[in-house]
Amino acid sequence: MRRDNVKIVLGIWTGLVLLFLFAPLIIVAIFSFNTSTISRFPLSGYTLSWYAKLFGDGMLREALWNSLIIAFATVVVSCSLGILAAVGIHRHGGRFTSGLRAFSLTPMMVPRLVIGIALLTFYNLIQIDLSLFTVIAGHIVMTMPYVILIALARLVGFEKTLEEAAWDLGASTFTIFREIMVPFLKPAIIAAGLMSFTLSFDEVVVTFFTTGRENTLPMMIWSKLRFGITPEVNAIATITVLISGLFAVIAELTLRRAQEKP
Amino acid sequence: MRARVSTYLAFFAAPKLWLLVFFILPMMAMLLYSFWRVIDYQIVADFTLRNYQKIGGSLYVGVFLSTIKLSIYVTVLSLLIGYPVAYFLARKVRRFKMTLLLLVILPLWTSYLVRTYAWMLILGTQGVVNQALMGLGLITQPQTWLLYSDFAVTIALVHIYMPYLILPLYAVLEKIDPSLLEAAWDLGGGRIRTFLSVILPLSLPGIASGCLFVFIPSMGAFVTPELLGGTRSIMIGSIIAQQFGVAFEYPFGSALALVLMGIIFATAAICLRYGKPRGAV
Repeated sequence: MRRDNVKIVLGIWTGLVLLFLFAPLIIVAIFSFNTSTISRFPLSGYTLSWYAKLFGDGMLREALWNSLIIAFATVVVSCSLGILAAVGIHRHGGRFTSGLRAFSLTPMMVPRLVIGIALLTFYNLIQIDLSLFTVIAGHIVMTMPYVILIALARLVGFEKTLEEAAWDLGASTFTIFREIMVPFLKPAIIAAGLMSFTLSFDEVVVTFFTTGRENTLPMMIWSKLRFGITPEVNAIATITVLISGLFAVIAELTLRRAQEKP
Repeated sequence: MRARVSTYLAFFAAPKLWLLVFFILPMMAMLLYSFWRVIDYQIVADFTLRNYQKIGGSLYVGVFLSTIKLSIYVTVLSLLIGYPVAYFLARKVRRFKMTLLLLVILPLWTSYLVRTYAWMLILGTQGVVNQALMGLGLITQPQTWLLYSDFAVTIALVHIYMPYLILPLYAVLEKIDPSLLEAAWDLGGGRIRTFLSVILPLSLPGIASGCLFVFIPSMGAFVTPELLGGTRSIMIGSIIAQQFGVAFEYPFGSALALVLMGIIFATAAICLRYGKPRGAV
């Protein structure tokens, strides 16, 4: 067999690009275990004290708590509304659904900054005080399009005959939704839920404009960075990256397995 | 008929209501505010075009232009770096394909704040790059242009958004019918000719959408220029954000954001119009 030089060159290139994508995160993780307060090489020694310090930090615990409340509320509402919308779009075909379809593309079209300031302007106009609720509302707007897209992608493989059979046997729309659509969509719901959680948990721009006095974890990183780099930030950053990475792998594997045997 | 209406409402009432209240109305509010003004720290309902006239001044036009320029750099770099990766994943690799794809997707799930911050560690005066270069004896003093510059913002934005370009490009490249390539080969087209006159034109839709997925968030970037741009590299996102902070200029900020959205929509329309497959087929 002829050696494919193009393949070798492209393979090396891909490896270098992956290194470019991952090396910065790995460097942050390495510094999070470094004893020195200055994040620089050579490393001065191994320690877990920055992590230990995090657990003793009351403000940080409160921020984490807020982040979790926001993320859980976002997941529940965003998934419920997004799944309903996706099944509705799937059932009704193109009619009366163009608005929601266009909305499902907003994450690609509308920068987070614009979503954030539009919400802030709106809250200012109707004189609503900023709170956790105003943040959650924004996070739901931000994540719902992803839920709709993931669910619609899964629904492409849906056997219409299943639904028709249920109709013929006298099942109501609600029964069909509960007994057929939801189980079929389960992998998509899991993946969409994990994705919404991660997006919400990591979000700083939309939160920045819609939060009142409440702090969240990314907002804390953001304000700490204003005063320079501290080793605690390395530790928080490493934890959030690990959580997101774990969720990403679970979500991808769930979707992939579902695709293999529908 | 009534059943149809009630199922329609069951599926769409809640999502559409949420969309209306927390997306459409806020956009309308922004449009409304852009014609208002601030007098004595009070937002006053008015109808004035002065916010838009103010944007016409050279200062803001300049920031818009430099933001567009930087976003174009980021997009072109992402395309040049990402295209070979997408091509490799779609057409050259079989065994580790799924693992490699997962590795490309994985960074998209991680916080853009953390990924921006990582570059502060790498490009700072005590950062990895400066230390490596000094260790190699290539420079004697830390280079300060690495951080707080267009360079830092560009490299970080490429790092954050390039995977968004690889994915649609991969999807398009994977669908190209191998028999087309064989035909080109049989007709005597070399590798380069086959690439330029078959593969490249057929991948145009992927290039167009992939470039948009990089260009649009770069235009609206706020966290990255704020942390890595310093005073030397200012993007419109930071200027817009300032209007909603201490400056308390919601009306002017709204007008700036609407101009930004106008530029984004115009670019999207152009890209999607010219991004149709041409040439071959």
